[in-house]
Amino acid sequence: MTDVQTAPAPDSAAVKPKRRINLGFDKYSGIYVWAVLVIIFSLWIPDLFLSWDNFKTILSFQAISTIVALGLIVPVAAGAFDLTIAGALTVSACFTGWALLNHKGVIFACGGALLIGVLIGLANALVVVKFKVDSFIGTLGMSSILAAVAYMISGGGQLVLSEEGYGPFLQFARQQWFGISASVYYAGVLAVIIWWVLEYTPGGRYLYAVGGNPVAARLAGVKVGRIITVSFIASAVVASFAGIVYLSQNANGAPDSGVNYLLPAFSAVFLGATQIRPGRVNVLGTLVAILLLATGVTGLQLAGAPTYVTQLFNGAALIIAMALAARTARRRG
Amino acid sequence: MTTALTVRHASKIFGVQKALDDVSIDVEPGEVRALVGQNGCGKSTLIKILAGFHAPEAGTEVTVGGVELPFEAPVASESVGLRFVHQDLGLVGNLDAVDNMAMGQGYITNPLKTIRWRKERAAAREALTALGYDINVRVPVAGLQMSERTAVAIARAMSDRGSDVKMLILDEPTANLPNAEAQRLYQLVRKVADSGVAVLFVSHHFDEVFEMADSVTVLRDGKHIVTRPVEGLTEDELIELVIGRTLEEHNKDSADAREHGLEILTLSEVSGGSVVSMDLSVHRGEVVGVAGITGSGREQVAGLVFGGMERGGVISVDGKVLPQNRPDISIERGVALVPAERHANASLIDQTLRENITLVDPGRHMTMGILRRRPERADVRIWLDRLTVKPGGETEYTMSQLSGGNQQKVILARWLRQEPEVLILDEPTQGVDVGAKADIHKLIDEAAAQGSAVLVCSTDHEELVRVCDRVVIMRRGKVAGILRGHEITADNITAATIGRDAADPAA
Repeated sequence: MTDVQTAPAPDSAAVKPKRRINLGFDKYSGIYVWAVLVIIFSLWIPDLFLSWDNFKTILSFQAISTIVALGLIVPVAAGAFDLTIAGALTVSACFTGWALLNHKGVIFACGGALLIGVLIGLANALVVVKFKVDSFIGTLGMSSILAAVAYMISGGGQLVLSEEGYGPFLQFARQQWFGISASVYYAGVLAVIIWWVLEYTPGGRYLYAVGGNPVAARLAGVKVGRIITVSFIASAVVASFAGIVYLSQNANGAPDSGVNYLLPAFSAVFLGATQIRPGRVNVLGTLVAILLLATGVTGLQLAGAPTYVTQLFNGAALIIAMALAARTARRRG
Repeated sequence: MTTALTVRHASKIFGVQKALDDVSIDVEPGEVRALVGQNGCGKSTLIKILAGFHAPEAGTEVTVGGVELPFEAPVASESVGLRFVHQDLGLVGNLDAVDNMAMGQGYITNPLKTIRWRKERAAAREALTALGYDINVRVPVAGLQMSERTAVAIARAMSDRGSDVKMLILDEPTANLPNAEAQRLYQLVRKVADSGVAVLFVSHHFDEVFEMADSVTVLRDGKHIVTRPVEGLTEDELIELVIGRTLEEHNKDSADAREHGLEILTLSEVSGGSVVSMDLSVHRGEVVGVAGITGSGREQVAGLVFGGMERGGVISVDGKVLPQNRPDISIERGVALVPAERHANASLIDQTLRENITLVDPGRHMTMGILRRRPERADVRIWLDRLTVKPGGETEYTMSQLSGGNQQKVILARWLRQEPEVLILDEPTQGVDVGAKADIHKLIDEAAAQGSAVLVCSTDHEELVRVCDRVVIMRRGKVAGILRGHEITADNITAATIGRDAADPAA
């Protein structure tokens, strides 16, 4: 809270109000931690860490995770888990790869992938809203189904796009503007759109209301089922878009393409919920969380840590984020 | 004989605010003491100190039956003989009375650590019988009546946990009970006191104070105002002690003389929940009350009319039929519902007052696809001022930072801002302090004066007397009678809700 509460003391001589300087540790702790990480790595491995190239690497490496996490914010704001985001990414990458390799054309490939995203969202909504299955369990089941679908599309193998044959499509994510790859810009545009929806439209209010108290939201005229349905469609379409970007960046789609994107997205969203607007998931907080996680992981890798440190770091971050969020909730309640 | 509880110089400071300011009280064994005061007067702070949740300021001394209370932890409070029953009772709804009572003290087991169910059940039954309740201890407590659930919670608190029970502390024991069930609870409390245990209870309900307590302690702004016997005290005097000023005298004549406009809300053969069939029409500018014991259908009337649940029959507003189960369409047609149990049904507890108030139409201050915060804040501030929400003008406070009465005002603001044709209120002053209650009653008057039709469902019969032009009595799911004008008194309502045929299943 930034406000200094100025409740009148009943006996002003007895108690002197303590003025505290508020550095915003409650809202911006992530930025402080990030600054500390930057300083540590700058002193530890200055040549490797403090370079423009490294900065670019951090950004472009995180573009796809960022896109997935941004999509995930929407259902989580409405109080629903969506564990199908990694599956949607995989199915989308496989479908697009399959369509391109079979010369169906870029429009069909990408349009189809996004349409599949809509269908995945609708299927999730059917399970959670109509069948009233808990979103965690429902989307866990759906994600297993999607893994099977991805396997069917790809035939179990890798769908590799060659540089020669698919140059224009590969450029979609790989081309650079001002030295930064296009995928970073896509993530940026998406961040602005979702931020605008959540903070400045009635739709955003409805999402947070449904997430906060679905009964109260319904009795205030909010169409709760519709809001949850739309939120699932949003996250699945965004994940499908991430699948297209993934294929374009890696020239390769396979049934395991998405596995490494599920946990970081949840880490970022929940760690983000402790930042900027503590107590609720939000876009800026999520971006801060991604920057923090990416800096930590990249720094450790440059310093020579083994590759498994990424998973270690993300897992620990998710748990710490949840513990912090629980603490925030306790202090506010 | 030593006193059951002695509190000396109890103080507690939160930040810059003295929540409790040098309070000293004594309670004798076998005495029933009511602790009253407005929200924020310090009574919950005092209870929490006794319960070991807050450490008091230095200089505070508390002894229980002559033994000093160490202010360490809830366990310490229990071991000196204090027992607590909180307002929500702390029961697990899908477990039966036996399991609930074993939760605090553990099960009776044989040497192989197998639970001896027969013995366990007998113990539970015995404890409840001692309190005058004959309850099936094998059904989930969620299926019991409210007063029976309270009895289970009290029996659990009273059961032996390695220390003599010196004092039972109850938080709003009859807050959610219909009158007949409250009566049973008064007897229960009397039984507890007769066994030599002191009882201290927090209350907003003055009828409960007068029915149950031997003496009353009034706190205001953290200070001890008075402790005196209930005998010889009138309700008006008690209200004055609690709020520190005279209550604005309500002019009942103005309500009687209120001009009623055209009929706007019509119910015909409405059914659903425990409502069997209900016909009713309400006019513009009229305040109609709905009274009835729990199970009479009263508790469902608000939800049925609003369209929050499945129902049969026809409801129309201004000639247009309301579909069932579509709150959004009801709101479009000008119906507003302030539901009972605001935490579960109305509050967005972690969100700002602004977001809570504009929830129904957040798009009102949108220009070119962007919600404008500044005009939205100004709009909300006007409503916070109009309803005298405290602290004033703080649109960005979260709901959780307000007291119960102020939260209720925020919910009321949400709906008054819609200028509803039909305003439905379900238990509008549940868990609300006296000052806020008077404010809310005035707002109901004002809404009617501006042409809304108002439907108030309430178990607080004084409240119905205060605000209503007409009171509909629900019995066994049907309208059993209507009271008008001078017939509307608390005693008449109570008598009518219990009814002569209450014990006659054929009626």
